[in-house]
Amino acid sequence: MNFTFRDKRIAGILTVLPEHEQKFADDMRNFDFPKARSLKLKQVMGYDRHRLVSAGTCASDLAVFGLRHLFEKGLLTPDGLDAMIVVTQSPDFFMPPTSNVIQGELGLKQDLFCMDITQGCAGFVVGLIQAFLMLEQESVSRVALVNVDILSRKVSTKDRNSYPLIGDAASITIVERGTDPSPIYANLKMDGTRREALMIPAGGFRLPSSPETAVPEDVGDGNFRAKDNLRMDGTAVFNFVQVEVPPMIDELLAFAAVPIDQVDWFLFHQPNKFMLQKLADKMKVPHAKMPSNVVEKFGNASGVTIPTAITLNLGERLQSESFQVCLAGFGVGLTWASMLMKMGSMRFCGMVDYPEQGDR
Amino acid sequence: MDEFYTKLAEILEVDEVREDSQLESFPAWDSLGVLAAIAMIDSSYGVNLTSTELTGVKTVGEFARLVESRRKA
Repeated sequence: MNFTFRDKRIAGILTVLPEHEQKFADDMRNFDFPKARSLKLKQVMGYDRHRLVSAGTCASDLAVFGLRHLFEKGLLTPDGLDAMIVVTQSPDFFMPPTSNVIQGELGLKQDLFCMDITQGCAGFVVGLIQAFLMLEQESVSRVALVNVDILSRKVSTKDRNSYPLIGDAASITIVERGTDPSPIYANLKMDGTRREALMIPAGGFRLPSSPETAVPEDVGDGNFRAKDNLRMDGTAVFNFVQVEVPPMIDELLAFAAVPIDQVDWFLFHQPNKFMLQKLADKMKVPHAKMPSNVVEKFGNASGVTIPTAITLNLGERLQSESFQVCLAGFGVGLTWASMLMKMGSMRFCGMVDYPEQGDR
Repeated sequence: MDEFYTKLAEILEVDEVREDSQLESFPAWDSLGVLAAIAMIDSSYGVNLTSTELTGVKTVGEFARLVESRRKA
């Protein structure tokens, strides 16, 4: 389905990264796998190091830290927010919503539309669509879109399919009314029949966590994980991305009537370097226009990877320059979504480290 | 399909593969090797296979024939 939005803009992005950095070389020791193959995995997928929270750190902790940072630096006023959307798959609780936890911790006003959205790797684009829809209301003039995931706490350290790539992070994106005459275009598709390609089988009401669901099982190829752990069917996800994403971008650009060579940057979700380079090749987009350096530096924090790719690669420039950018997220659901917009003249666009609060 | 054999040998980190070579006999035929092969047949032949579709495939020759049949389909 297609969307068109007018008079909206991203005014600033802040990425919050846990300060603890873990090296792939250390992860390798947990794998039941020949060292040469682990090194091959590192080389092909672009694994090097990733940022992980400590055991007690929750999604709201990263978000509260980031919002407080913006308040303290004078980049955002608490009363200036009319809505807060939190996109996460790792909420503090089943209930209440994490957005209310953050609202309460920061003492934000009651005239604040707090909303949680359960979304993964497409969560930045889905969150922006929701923020733009809210801005259609006169009473809403500024929305804080919080993307946050701390899924490392749900990944088995002995699962080579998922552990080396996972990262934890949060981002805060301020979305406002704007005056740029060019519309923002977006499209979105979902396929729930393929929902099991990416899932955490246990822990919800369908299969509550129990001593049994915590037992690591030999899932073949030297990998061990429990039903409480995140499970990813790597080749199914790879095929999904290669088959669905290029036509989605073609449709978006046709809908917007913008030729592909007029797009300055392709800021895509960052599953790993391998998948992004294959995607760029298939779309005939130069690798230089599609950054793929987030996983090697920070890991893949699902919905936070697009804001991380933006702040890492274009942080300085987006405060003074303006670019035509194409965003795309794809993952859990399955969900795939993309957006074409002018991005620039931001009030802030950067990254901060979240200090560890306790022992690891 | 000589080109396919060459590309597969590269992924399996050997000098050459033969039609009757057993895929399971190559140490590099693990989840990473399978993914690399799936990516290769996608970019070179426009064929998308899942790892489930590959589970019944035992030899290099069977793999080549599967790719060839999907290409025509």
